[in-house]
Amino acid sequence: MTSSADLKHREGLGMQATIQRIGGYLAGMIMPNIAAFIAWGLITALFIPTGWWPNEQLSKLVGPIILTLLPVLIGYTGGRLVHGQRGAVIGAVATMGVVVGTDIPMFLGAMIIGPSAAYLLKKLDGLFAGRVRTGFEMLIDNFSAGILGLIMAVLGLLAVGPIVETFANAAGDGVDALVTGGLLPLVSIIVEPAKVLFLNNAINHGVLAPLGVAQALESGKSILFMIETNPGPGLGILLAYFFFGPRSLRPSAPGSIIIHFFGGIHEIYFPYVLMNPRLILAAIAGGASGVFTAVVTSAGLVATPSPGSIFAYLAVTPKDGYFGVLLAIVVATAVSFAVASLLLGFGRAEEPEAVAA
Amino acid sequence: MSTMNGKDISRIVIACDAGMGSSVMVASQMRQRLKKYDVSVEHVPVNAIPADTQVVVCHAGLADRARSMAPNAVVVPFRVFMGDPAFDRVEAAIRDGTSLAD
Repeated sequence: MTSSADLKHREGLGMQATIQRIGGYLAGMIMPNIAAFIAWGLITALFIPTGWWPNEQLSKLVGPIILTLLPVLIGYTGGRLVHGQRGAVIGAVATMGVVVGTDIPMFLGAMIIGPSAAYLLKKLDGLFAGRVRTGFEMLIDNFSAGILGLIMAVLGLLAVGPIVETFANAAGDGVDALVTGGLLPLVSIIVEPAKVLFLNNAINHGVLAPLGVAQALESGKSILFMIETNPGPGLGILLAYFFFGPRSLRPSAPGSIIIHFFGGIHEIYFPYVLMNPRLILAAIAGGASGVFTAVVTSAGLVATPSPGSIFAYLAVTPKDGYFGVLLAIVVATAVSFAVASLLLGFGRAEEPEAVAA
Repeated sequence: MSTMNGKDISRIVIACDAGMGSSVMVASQMRQRLKKYDVSVEHVPVNAIPADTQVVVCHAGLADRARSMAPNAVVVPFRVFMGDPAFDRVEAAIRDGTSLAD
């Protein structure tokens, strides 16, 4: 690693690091709760009327988990990120306001009001710090947070919830317009490059999943869960490296493929793109054709597959949806592999700079 | 730019964006490599790197964020997730008691 390479790397990073950091907070509220999302996805896939074992009694779990439990967990986690356990508690209380105030899954509202309430409590705690009479600490601690919780819950119910619902509906309409206009594959032009810049979690868990959940609740599945998570584009690139990459890198490809496709750690393929940035075209082409395939076959998933492993995909595919979902992965892999192989010159053009970078 | 002697390292933090995916994978590899030595290996989200961390190992794309979280730490960036020379560098510094710089 030369110093000039280091410098070059750093110039572009200010902006990227800032976006990553913001995205990191969004994803940081969702990702620790993925297990709850998976539990909900499995319950939904099994017990709803079109599921594997339809069961009216057990399917009563579906609504309360998605509408109440998951937003409250997100608000709790968001509060914890800002102000520890006290922040977590007040984040959860405030989130109940937005949950009760609307009838859509309030992930976005939770991601706003949870950390905000915790931030206010942090400021409030700062005001009281050092001024409380000995022996009154617990009383002040509990009632300051309790009263602020009252205020935030009311504020959430009357103000934040309705505003966020309007916004979420508009965003949902926007997505619908993209789908019906056949423009959804173009989203890959933004998503795939952002992914390899380590914005993958921010995009999927911060943006696509909250929108997708609203769709999934309405229609039982959402295509939005498949946009960032499709392992096909990365798999195609890794396969291209295995067959046609610089000789020094070929031996690392099979292990990477296993970790990527079966383990679902997509980060493993990002370096292969970053060391030969033209390959982002392969990821975009693969991603877009995967989305296109999913649109044409009306494919969708019931929850976000996290990590983006083939096993997670199979677990959240609706009972009647395997054809479209698997085809979207196969097509994305094939297109990405073809484009990446072409860009690697089918192994004839050994590229010394690709190794050096 | 921080420097630290390998024999003073008692804890290494592996960071990734979420602290749940690639950092866990790299941490389990590093634990294997370092199990002979008295060094603990942890994985965290890059936003949650403790400020008093001695050594951070993370992907080059996250190195600036890691430095802002733990300004005094030696940040060792890597480019590929398996077989990167950065991992050898960390192991060698701890094994031989030589200095490790970022």
